[in-house]
Amino acid sequence: MDGDVIKVPAPGVSKVIDRLLASTIGQKAIMAVTGFALVGFVFVHMAGHLQMFQGPEAYNKYAHMLQGMGGIKWGLRGLLLVGVFAHMWAGVRLMMRNMSARPDNYAVNKWLAASASAKTMRVTGPIVLFFIVYHLLHFTLLKVSSQGFEDMVYQLNGVGDVPDVYQRMVVSYQNPVLTAIYVLSVTLLGTHLAHGIQSMFQTLGLNNNTYRPAVQVASRALALIAVLGFVAVPLAILAGVIK
Amino acid sequence: MSGHGHGSGSGLNLTLKIWRQKNAGTPGGLVSYQAHGISPDMSFLEMLDIVNEQLAERGEEPVAFDHDCREGICGMCSLVINGNPHGPDSATTTCQLHMRRFKDGDVITIEPWRAKPFPVIRDLVVDRSAFDRIQAKGGFVSVNTGGTPDANATPIAKHEADLSMDAAQCIGCGACVAACKNASAMLFVGAKVSQYLHLPQGQPERYRRVLAMVAQHDAEGFGGCTNYQECEAACPKEISVRVIAEMNRDFLRATLIGTEL
Ligand code: FES
Repeated sequence: MDGDVIKVPAPGVSKVIDRLLASTIGQKAIMAVTGFALVGFVFVHMAGHLQMFQGPEAYNKYAHMLQGMGGIKWGLRGLLLVGVFAHMWAGVRLMMRNMSARPDNYAVNKWLAASASAKTMRVTGPIVLFFIVYHLLHFTLLKVSSQGFEDMVYQLNGVGDVPDVYQRMVVSYQNPVLTAIYVLSVTLLGTHLAHGIQSMFQTLGLNNNTYRPAVQVASRALALIAVLGFVAVPLAILAGVIK
Repeated sequence: MSGHGHGSGSGLNLTLKIWRQKNAGTPGGLVSYQAHGISPDMSFLEMLDIVNEQLAERGEEPVAFDHDCREGICGMCSLVINGNPHGPDSATTTCQLHMRRFKDGDVITIEPWRAKPFPVIRDLVVDRSAFDRIQAKGGFVSVNTGGTPDANATPIAKHEADLSMDAAQCIGCGACVAACKNASAMLFVGAKVSQYLHLPQGQPERYRRVLAMVAQHDAEGFGGCTNYQECEAACPKEISVRVIAEMNRDFLRATLIGTEL
């Protein structure tokens, strides 16, 4: 065989990046790695939320601690933002490529194996994005609610006046419409994760026939845990357990 | 038709909706045909042979479809039958599919593989030379010429040999592309990569192979993998998507660390 048949340029850093950005597997790897970071955030965020069950003192203290992280906080926020954008960029690019690879569809179009969660990634992804923007406007930028968030102040032991984020949450989710939007969005996030987490392992090559069933079960279990962990707080507020 | 309808009285009467297309440049469409007295013992391709005989008798253009060995080993036959590449039976090529799988009165829609890199040549025949070009980029090993090596000179663990042989089952038919909603050929490329990566003979070109074959896959215009796993369900040789994981692993390793490790 002629030695010229396989021709691959010697790698340099820019070559590595080029190759990642240009190839479908590279783009998928970007989705997987950013997806991993975003899943990490989802669980940290969920664990933080569950402190609502410990009452206003604990929750406001936790929120105050987060606000006090300064540079680290902004660094993490920046990373998340980059992660979200890279995840979206790769997702949209792959989707457009995938659509153009099948210009004519079948008259009889059948699904043979894919899960409902896998089939709906393109829909659940953008919906979750909209929800995140809305959620940030609501609780971080305080641009949505007319519930008087600015006036809710809490007297934290040994610190003094801090924003009463506990109260803001309670007031918000006593509203059944806001709770319904939240529960629906978080359920769709869970649907996205049920396929996304296992897809991450497969894309990065961390999968084989021995691990595959376990990866699949773990992916769905983690997604379910995320959904239950998130909906617990607003539902407890709506039910009057947290007030 | 006499001589074909043995054993089952009047046989099956079927309505076939077959994709007819003159060439890549002319738009095609589904055309309905009636097939009468089809024996359940016939293979799907034999049934199409009968239909074609009848078309020829009527002076019409027979339906073009690919086939060669009719034994399930060459990978020439194709056809999406009622939305299933190679028909409804798992682990079965179209040439090995039998008409007993269908009922009298069934409507059967027959379409070609659909993917941008697989343009229709005529009717149900598509151009799969994109697979040849991918294969040419790395689907081989370098072997020294000279005397025949001793059969036991290169020991290979049974487990590794099995993984390689399972991947080597791939007959390159393209059903994975046909089934994939993204028209991705990752199962095909993964099988070709995995076939060699488990063997000592595959090591010298291991990383260059995966980079070159994936680059050609992408250049041909196939889609990317979204892990729907439709390919695995459609594959007549039951190639598992673990070959895709192996290909991804080697591709990323080669990309991030370099080709010559
Ligand atoms: S004709 Fe050879 S595999 Fe079907």
